[in-house]
Amino acid sequence: MKFSRLIGKSEKIVDSHEQGHPVESAKLSKLQRLLGEKISRYQAKLEEMDDPKKRKKLQTRLKVVNAQLKKSKQLSAR
Amino acid sequence: MLKKILLPSILFILGYGFWVSPDFKEIAAGVSIFLFGMLFLEEGFKAFTGGVLEKLLQKTTNKTWKSLLFGVVSTTIMQSSSLVSVITISFISAGLVTLVAGIGIIFGANIGTTTGAWMVAAFGLKVKISAYAMPMLVFGIVLSFQKSKYLKGIGSVLAGLGFLFLGIHYMKEGFEAFKDTFDLAALAVEGYPGLFLFAAIGAAATVVMQSSHATLVLILTALAAGQITYENSLALAIGANVGTTITAIIGSLSANVQGKRLAGAHLVFNLVTGLIAIVFISQFVWAVEWVSDHVGIAQDDYTMKLAVFHTLFNVTGVLVMVPLINRLADYLFKVIPEKPKDLAEPLYLNDAVIEFPETVLKSLKKEVWHLFDSAFELMAHGINLHRTEILESPDLEKTIDEDREIHEFDLDELYESKVKILYGAIIEFISHAQEHIPSLYAEEMFRLRKASLEIVECVKHIKHLRKNATRYMLSDNEHIRVEYNHLRYQISMILREIYRLRNEDDFDHALAMLEIDELKAEIKLEHKQLDGRITEVLRDERITPLMATSLLNDFNYVDETARNLLDTAQALLVSHSDLVAEAAQEVVLDEDEIDEASAA
Repeated sequence: MKFSRLIGKSEKIVDSHEQGHPVESAKLSKLQRLLGEKISRYQAKLEEMDDPKKRKKLQTRLKVVNAQLKKSKQLSAR
Repeated sequence: MLKKILLPSILFILGYGFWVSPDFKEIAAGVSIFLFGMLFLEEGFKAFTGGVLEKLLQKTTNKTWKSLLFGVVSTTIMQSSSLVSVITISFISAGLVTLVAGIGIIFGANIGTTTGAWMVAAFGLKVKISAYAMPMLVFGIVLSFQKSKYLKGIGSVLAGLGFLFLGIHYMKEGFEAFKDTFDLAALAVEGYPGLFLFAAIGAAATVVMQSSHATLVLILTALAAGQITYENSLALAIGANVGTTITAIIGSLSANVQGKRLAGAHLVFNLVTGLIAIVFISQFVWAVEWVSDHVGIAQDDYTMKLAVFHTLFNVTGVLVMVPLINRLADYLFKVIPEKPKDLAEPLYLNDAVIEFPETVLKSLKKEVWHLFDSAFELMAHGINLHRTEILESPDLEKTIDEDREIHEFDLDELYESKVKILYGAIIEFISHAQEHIPSLYAEEMFRLRKASLEIVECVKHIKHLRKNATRYMLSDNEHIRVEYNHLRYQISMILREIYRLRNEDDFDHALAMLEIDELKAEIKLEHKQLDGRITEVLRDERITPLMATSLLNDFNYVDETARNLLDTAQALLVSHSDLVAEAAQEVVLDEDEIDEASAA
């Protein structure tokens, strides 16, 4: 390997270390699994809930978790 | 006084020595180059303390044997017990490791330093070490001119090693030449008087050079040149160990309580170890012979035997002291007590941590949580509630409706004394830290600074809200009372939720951070409903226009406070060590996404 290439390669390694790595897909899938579990939990709660005020709140929360799940899937697809 | 006399005396002795003997000049130059090399080496390793070393230190100090091992390994690699001590003090100061773990590391570092003697005895004195020094210096200096922090670090380590080797070479050459003109061995003193005299010389030399490692190398080179006897070299090695303690004590005079306690532990360890070595010197000499026979060290290889002795008595010291480690820590807590800290003062910010970025961030985060706690109390009283009511009430809405007690206190005064001082200390610490830590950590520092500012803003908003909230919570007009109680409820609920999420264990922090998004959406939904209700009660003339104006103004304060508190919590719940935290950070919703989720 040429010396300039060796220096270039080591600079690349150092730069990538300094900039940080993109989020790994393994971490995202773990997060997706956790969010999926949360959605099921919220859905089950929603079925049992009668109070319209509380239902509205929980529905909002459910929408947020769904949005987070969607966002994480978009990140995985990148 | 001592300092004033010491420096001129040293300079005079050195000057006189240089005048009468060129060989002494060579030895002294060798020691100086060696010490210069140690400075380079420490500087180089500091470039790598940004992450790995600190993370390792945190993970490997939950058990005494792990702390010991960390001390041994890190000091062996870096060949600097003082750098390990500095990092340990910074960690104890920041509350990231316990004093017991810190003492374990220091004990381990004492064994770690003995590897230096092995390397010099086995390698440094037997090969032409200067041949290795030159290329190391050249490569080291070239790399240390590079822009990258890591290449610079590698450069400094290489240059440091180069200077160490060069220093050893000059010491060796100096002693070799010196023996032709003057035989120091003729001054040898035998028996216990010699033991005490040379131990004192070893200690004094270490105090002057501020490094037991340098003293030991000097002893080894003098021993190799036959300028000191083997017996006296053992005493000098014991003295070097004791001398390093004096250096640590002098250094700790300006350190904080944690630094003083650790220096105390170091003192006790080295005094006990030195005493054991002196009392059982014949047994140690016998043990050295036994070990040397078994590992194949030649009868006349005194430098290697000295390395064996140095290791043996330090290991013995550790074996004796480790069972007493908890008692020693208790004793140090008692003898060096910490002044009870005012809650308004920073608890975790310490200049000792400033050069270690990971530690800086951890201490800062703890301090911002501390600021949050102080602000929590003020905010709770500001809306006429007790902290315990917010945290423990089984039905918060009902408690707020029923509790009509007015909390009489001067919020301005408490803000000045409890929040502003702490906030000022955090900002000052961040500005100071920014000069030392790499840009990689700038974003996180900015986030923490913003979080602190948001906490302060929250207290200011509550100050504005307090006036009307206090007035209308006692009003005969039920409608305005209900609406103000609702505002009080929102603040309390958010404070309570943040407290709950914060106390989740570390693993759940990533999910807690995402749950804040849910809270944000929930608050948005409630605020939309509240907005509708205000218009309704005003239209129906259930509240006066003056009341409506106050309510709308205060509603804005609550809205801002809610947003600030939730953003702050999200910033503080970020945990880099968590497996999914990094992913969760990417998934946190922005303002528009939350708006969308909270839309009807």
